[in-house]
Amino acid sequence: MNSNHIQLIGVTKNFDKNTVVNNISFEIADNEFFVLLGPSGCGKSTTLRMIAGLEDISEGKIISNGVDITEEDPKDRNMAFVFQNYALYPHMNVRKNLSYSLKLRKVEKSKINQKIEWVSNLLKINELLDRKPSQLSGGQRQRVALGRSLVREPNAFLLDEPLSNLDAQLRVEMRQELTLLQKDLSKTFIYVTHDQVEAMTMASRICIMNHGEVLQIGKPQEVYDKPNSIFVAKFLANPVNNILKSKIIKKDDSLWIESLNIFINNQNLNNLSEIYFSIRPENLKLNNHDQSYNFEVKIIQIENHGHELLISAQLEFDKQIIYFRTTKDKYFMIGEKIKLYFHIKDLLFFDMITERIIT
Amino acid sequence: MRNIFSCLIIALTFFSFNANSVTLRAVMENVPDTKFIQELLPEFTEKTGIEVEFEVMGYGEMHPKLVPSLTASTGSYDFMPVDFYWVGEFDKAGWMMPLDDMIAKDGFDTSVYFNSLMELTGKVGDTTYMLPFYNYAMGLTVRKDLIENASNQAEFKSKYGMELKIPTEWDEYLKQVEFFTDKDNGFYGVVNQGGKADPIAMEWSNYLFARGGAFHDQNWNGLLNSSNAVDALNDYISMINNYGPIGAESFSFDEAFNVAAQGNAYSYLTYNWFLGSYNDPEQSSVVDKMALIPVPGEGGLNGAWGWSIPKSSPNPEAAWEFLKWVESPDIAKRRAEMGGAATRKDVFDDPALNAKFDHYPGLKNLLATSKNFPVFTYTPQFVEVMGTELSKAVIGEQDAKTALMNMNNQLEELAAKDGKR
Amino acid sequence: MNKIQFYDRRFGYLFVSPAVLILSIVILAPIVLAIITSFYDYTLINRSFENFIGLKNYFASVSNEKFIHSSIVTIFFVLLVVLFEFLIGFLIAILLNQVEKFRNIYYFILLIPLLINPVVVGLIWRMFLHPQLGILNYLIGLIGIDPVNWLGDPQNAFITIIFVDIWHQVSFMIILLLAGLASIPEEPYEAARVDGANMFEQFRDITLPYMRPVIIITLLIRLIFALKTYDLIYIMTKGGPGDATDIISYYIYRSAFIGLDLGQAASMSVILLLIVCVIIYPLFKFMNRADE
Repeated sequence: MNSNHIQLIGVTKNFDKNTVVNNISFEIADNEFFVLLGPSGCGKSTTLRMIAGLEDISEGKIISNGVDITEEDPKDRNMAFVFQNYALYPHMNVRKNLSYSLKLRKVEKSKINQKIEWVSNLLKINELLDRKPSQLSGGQRQRVALGRSLVREPNAFLLDEPLSNLDAQLRVEMRQELTLLQKDLSKTFIYVTHDQVEAMTMASRICIMNHGEVLQIGKPQEVYDKPNSIFVAKFLANPVNNILKSKIIKKDDSLWIESLNIFINNQNLNNLSEIYFSIRPENLKLNNHDQSYNFEVKIIQIENHGHELLISAQLEFDKQIIYFRTTKDKYFMIGEKIKLYFHIKDLLFFDMITERIIT
Repeated sequence: MRNIFSCLIIALTFFSFNANSVTLRAVMENVPDTKFIQELLPEFTEKTGIEVEFEVMGYGEMHPKLVPSLTASTGSYDFMPVDFYWVGEFDKAGWMMPLDDMIAKDGFDTSVYFNSLMELTGKVGDTTYMLPFYNYAMGLTVRKDLIENASNQAEFKSKYGMELKIPTEWDEYLKQVEFFTDKDNGFYGVVNQGGKADPIAMEWSNYLFARGGAFHDQNWNGLLNSSNAVDALNDYISMINNYGPIGAESFSFDEAFNVAAQGNAYSYLTYNWFLGSYNDPEQSSVVDKMALIPVPGEGGLNGAWGWSIPKSSPNPEAAWEFLKWVESPDIAKRRAEMGGAATRKDVFDDPALNAKFDHYPGLKNLLATSKNFPVFTYTPQFVEVMGTELSKAVIGEQDAKTALMNMNNQLEELAAKDGKR
Repeated sequence: MNKIQFYDRRFGYLFVSPAVLILSIVILAPIVLAIITSFYDYTLINRSFENFIGLKNYFASVSNEKFIHSSIVTIFFVLLVVLFEFLIGFLIAILLNQVEKFRNIYYFILLIPLLINPVVVGLIWRMFLHPQLGILNYLIGLIGIDPVNWLGDPQNAFITIIFVDIWHQVSFMIILLLAGLASIPEEPYEAARVDGANMFEQFRDITLPYMRPVIIITLLIRLIFALKTYDLIYIMTKGGPGDATDIISYYIYRSAFIGLDLGQAASMSVILLLIVCVIIYPLFKFMNRADE
């Protein structure tokens, strides 16, 4: 059985009076790298733990390969869990940590050794086998935690923010390793993180959650380019997204976006007097190539990020702050007024009340 | 803030050094005689301005508490009751202050005390170290209501061929014990205080004397391996195992008393002052049913406490004031009236008290016939030895002969250590 | 060591010195005095250091069959008491660790016996255990069992004393073991659940290894205190019946204050002290190692 098709149907988790996960449903196909993304407290870890069986489900069902596993013990679900803090057994050396689950199942010794060899080669932890967890670095412990789950050859891997305790450099390395690993193994990875860079770079699909609810699921580029709500638009941003307000006034046949002083045609906005709009910093250009829209801003602050500049500027009309990015060879003065150009397709509108996208 | 604090410290220090009120402290046993004095203490304080604080405790705790205080140069206690069998030890160690000068100076009359008691807890040799406090000669308490019962009398006579009456012979008593034991109904012919060290040693001494035995001769050669002693111990073993309640092997005098006071035993050999407790409805359900008689046979064990002032007393003059007061004729009489065990002839001759307590003549007689326990430096140690050997015999770990032989040897050893032989 | 560290250290020593001074006087001096006394023929009747007799007291002690008997009684008592208190205490601690509601109430109730003065404990239990008038025999009588001679029968007395000590002291174990259990992180257990370990396996492979230092320290501390048991025996049996419950501290005490032979008693105390040191030594080494 090499596939693991997982389905959540109406899954809800209540702690006393708090509803932490509220009626979520989604499907994960075979061999996906499925990322649950959201801020702290959004319910993503709880969801993962319910899939693993470490938390009880208050309402709903979890189906794996057509079998209802809602009531099954963790050990019977054929899934492995990698913890944020690794959860290695501190009194056993690495070898014993890796082989623990197999020993419990009374797998014979030669087979155990075979698997340990395979895993330690794969993750390059051969020299660490006789050490205890306290003698390992963060990155090494992470590999051992991974190794422990690999050894069981489960159908799905559940990873709960496994990289958040590592330093930045190591995180970049491990991201690539994990992505490659998942492809090699051809198994489903369900991955929880609050870091949208990890989500964007690793996921086959991202599931964004907030306040216990699923907001949007889709391929990374889709979700990035077409966020369905302000929350998603704000959350998936590196380092920041522009979300501003404006009044809309009907003039003749067009709509005048007051804050930007531009005219557009969009039927869906006809009956609205005020909206949120969003345009990513990287989509604001200094030159008019084929962009037909522009507006004027006054430079407020210049941040030098080493590889580029992030500049904040004020809209002429109502002084809202907007960010844009340029290459580092450009030179600006604070207070300078310049024009920013953009393509209409990059301008997104969101409803004032529902905060959802207006297409 | 600091100034207030220092003022407080100074004030406290001043008050603690207030020389006007002396407080006398003493270790006292948890017995009725102590309670009687406690009731009268406020009068003493009013009269002299001296406060008195008693530390009341069980017998076993007193000696260990006293000794550290006595060995210090200034101890914690101003006066103390001395049990007769510490007299040898306290005398040898020189812990008691001679009282002769103070007695002479204040004209205190010591001729009122029974001679035997002055010998036991009054004088040592020619020096007076103590004033006798209360006596605890041991006697036998029996259920006179059961003896006077007509059907009992008839049954007893037909079974044993003798009258059922207040026992005066030891064998007579043994038969009565057997007669009255009805274990199925929870009634016992006798309850013993077989607890280790003091209870069992004191109680068994009566059995020894009753059988005509003795501890030692004038030269301190041991007499405990005599046939009298063996019989006495076999009696005791049989009493506990055949005619007494279970657990008697570990009873203190209080626990044994409770069995009798709840009406579950015919007889109990104990200290004479228990009679008051039997007749106290709050403690007993056999009020007016118990009689106190001398131990049948050839006599029971004498015992007494004496008042003494330790050499390490912090306030010896104030302590002597207390002694004079507590042993003054008026206070002594009032203590006896409350039920105290007096040590003075004038109390026993008092008509009012004789009218109140009809056991007084019997008690006077008891005091006259009682015998003394060996008194020497190692008396407490010997009591320990007796406690262990007797206890082992009672539970069957060794036979009576072996126990007595051990006791005898150790008595002679200790006597030799004390220079008596 | 730089200047700041030096001043820090010195300040630390100054701060600690009053306490160290007082402790030396109150604890160290009597111990030293006792050790010195053990080499003399020193009695409460004749309190002088005139007769130096070297190791005579020690030889007399180890060949004294009552001392040996007391030592054996003590060893059995200590082993049984520590063992049962450990097992029962551990079980209760594990159960208590899983309780969330009312945990503080259970904790408080379990703690009460430990807070009671041992003398009071002994007195209360003597009353309960009175063969005719005590509540225990009354209760077992209600279900048809004959009254038991709790303290008068030598075998019973020994077991009864152990039982009362357990009642009194088991919560000491509970406190320490519960603290140890509460400090174990939750995650290894979750990993074990995923790996497929059942309750027993989780206990054996996670709980016990984590608890090892706490268990060792708790056992050793309790062992040392158990060796000093005195109050219970003094109040409940006075070492009897016979000498079935005559434990070492009571025996030494009687040698000193009834037998009045302080030199002999001091030598026995020193022997006891040496035994305790022998037991402490591995604890000491272990604790130093645990610091790494």
